[in-house]
Amino acid sequence: MRFLHFVSIALIPAGLLFAADGGSKAGKAVLKSAGPLAFGPNGVLFIGDSAAASILAVETGDTTAHAASPVEVKGVNEKIAAMLGTTPDQIMIQDVAVNPVSKNVYLSVARGKGPDAAAMILRTDAAGKITEFPLDNVKHSMVVMPSAPDAEAKDRRGQSLRQEAITDLAFVDGRVFVAGLSNEEFSSSLRAIPYPFTAASKPAGIEIYHGAHGRFETNAPVRTFVPYTIGSESNILAAYTCTPLVRIPVSELKAGNKVKGTTIAELGNRNRPLDMIVYNKGGKDFILMANSSRGVMKLPAANLDKYEAITAPTEKQGVPYETIESLKGVQQLDKLDDTHALLLSDNSGSLDLRSIPLP
Amino acid sequence: MPCCYRTTADRWICAPFRCRSLRAAACLISILALGASAASIVRDGDGFRVNGWTPAIQPADWSAILTIHVGSLEAPPLLGSYAVTGDGLTFHPRFAITPGVRVFAKFAPPSGSPMVEEFANLRETHAPSTSVARVLPSADLLPSNQLKLYLEFSAPMSRGEASKRVHLYGEGGEEVDLPFVEIEQELWDPEQKRLTMLFDPGRIKRGVLPLAELGGALVEGELYELRIDRGWPDAEGRPLVEEHRKRFQAGPADRTAVDPASWKITAPTPGTREPVLVAFGEPLDAAVLVRCLEIRGDGQPLAGSGSAQDAETQWRFEPEEPWAAGSYQLAVCGTLEDLAGNKIGKLFDVDTFQPVTVSIATGSVSIPFRIGGQ
Repeated sequence: MRFLHFVSIALIPAGLLFAADGGSKAGKAVLKSAGPLAFGPNGVLFIGDSAAASILAVETGDTTAHAASPVEVKGVNEKIAAMLGTTPDQIMIQDVAVNPVSKNVYLSVARGKGPDAAAMILRTDAAGKITEFPLDNVKHSMVVMPSAPDAEAKDRRGQSLRQEAITDLAFVDGRVFVAGLSNEEFSSSLRAIPYPFTAASKPAGIEIYHGAHGRFETNAPVRTFVPYTIGSESNILAAYTCTPLVRIPVSELKAGNKVKGTTIAELGNRNRPLDMIVYNKGGKDFILMANSSRGVMKLPAANLDKYEAITAPTEKQGVPYETIESLKGVQQLDKLDDTHALLLSDNSGSLDLRSIPLP
Repeated sequence: MPCCYRTTADRWICAPFRCRSLRAAACLISILALGASAASIVRDGDGFRVNGWTPAIQPADWSAILTIHVGSLEAPPLLGSYAVTGDGLTFHPRFAITPGVRVFAKFAPPSGSPMVEEFANLRETHAPSTSVARVLPSADLLPSNQLKLYLEFSAPMSRGEASKRVHLYGEGGEEVDLPFVEIEQELWDPEQKRLTMLFDPGRIKRGVLPLAELGGALVEGELYELRIDRGWPDAEGRPLVEEHRKRFQAGPADRTAVDPASWKITAPTPGTREPVLVAFGEPLDAAVLVRCLEIRGDGQPLAGSGSAQDAETQWRFEPEEPWAAGSYQLAVCGTLEDLAGNKIGKLFDVDTFQPVTVSIATGSVSIPFRIGGQ
């Protein structure tokens, strides 16, 4: 029996769920919080803002191609804390993303840990110098994420405590995919937003189910995911909150469709996937996954479309993986170039930003 | 020609020699040195001001002349902006400096000796005042497949602490290993006064590896104590007033869907503002419950206030206006969950192999009831 996951897509009227400003405009871009980052075409940086329930698309203008240089910024949290006039324990680096063209590294940062924490985007250049990427006057556009209909009703009574944490985002084939997790109901909320953002965008909320061994089916939230092309087909490799790693074809994520995804790895206990990248080495594709307790895991990505799915509850089948023992405490990953990865790793409270050859 | 630069409309600084073109650079250096001779650095509100020095010309990079450093002099300079006013240069930090860190100002005029000042920046100490207001569910018997806990605080809290501040212990005092899923973004409400902790869904959902390897976080019949560390800083950086503990027992797993048809509605007396009482027969999720129910008359929501009570096994609705006799509906949204994440007509983990013996409508439902006689 195949191990199936069902993905049904609801097409939601644009005006009901998303407020779009009709395209980029120059001016001050306001961030209430700065979370997951992803680059799109032409230096556009997408920033997930959970506090504002929105996705901000900023035209960085950082479009001059450069070759990647080695990155090593030790104690990047300490340096940022000093720049922002506080202590390292009051700095949260939420995500790092490499501009695939300029190779500059962008960081989403919170100064402070309370509800009034300041959100900002910082950037490091090839020399490791950290500067603020100012949002005072940039071309940008924004979409507001939909509220749950019930939460909207409650907002009218001024009592809403519901908030959705944006856990990951990526730009794939003209759409921004956004994964989120509600602080109330347990459900999936992967959303697809066509970019450029316009009022005419037709956003789709995608309800994802996870069917363990074809039997126990849950409405399973996605924590982190990465786009991956198999042949000419775009896919999303997604890690669920309940740990399995699955493949979902992007081409089938259409309104009204029911998609069968496939589990490609059961990573098991103590596995908390934090971030993933896909790369090619020696003519073969691999997935590199930062993991809460297993360090960094490397999985072969070849023939994922042909891989036998897991069919029994306790077997560790599916795609085999190896643990890169030398990499510990990795919190964030991104591809620096075709041969190097960028890591943000925790070294006893001191966060280091560094590049490594892809394993 | 005299070696002078005009600094303001009516102020010039002149070097004590005549300037030839080849000596232009030396001329400028001399002037800047003159300007720096009586400089001092003082605090100016949140900013820092160099008094007694006026730049003769606008430098390309102010940060080569005046920088503020926190922690140590070797730390990268503080972000901020510069302004020249009167006879002084002022630096305004982008953010107010956190009390308690060491603060240094480094002034390095183009000519002359650099100057470094350290400024007092004492930490203000305040007594702790934030506490855990309550932990939901409020029941002390939870299903062994309990999905969520809500921790409510009396004031906003700090993010990034939950995984090391919330612990679950068994009856023998041993700590339960990884009962909650760690979510780096953390599931707070907008005010950061309520945190949602998710029991690891991989240890609840049947058919996935963590449950097979480790078993459930809660074992039926066992006693547990949830402890919330006193050291958890609130949004102001102060610890909690005291550690918070909640004891509970794990009961049988709840693998039944929410069934509104089984609820008992107690209708009030017409002409009064008595509450409508809805008894569920089981505790429901406290957060979803309060936004998920409403009373409708003629299809429109009635104004009033609803609240959960009796350990979230009952909902109480008090109208703003006295009840009129007639037909009403209890509207229930489809996201309503019980303590184990089961929804209306749908289990948290649906066993697709199990034959359907009882069919319950899924999604939103509306339950009619009457107030007063027929």
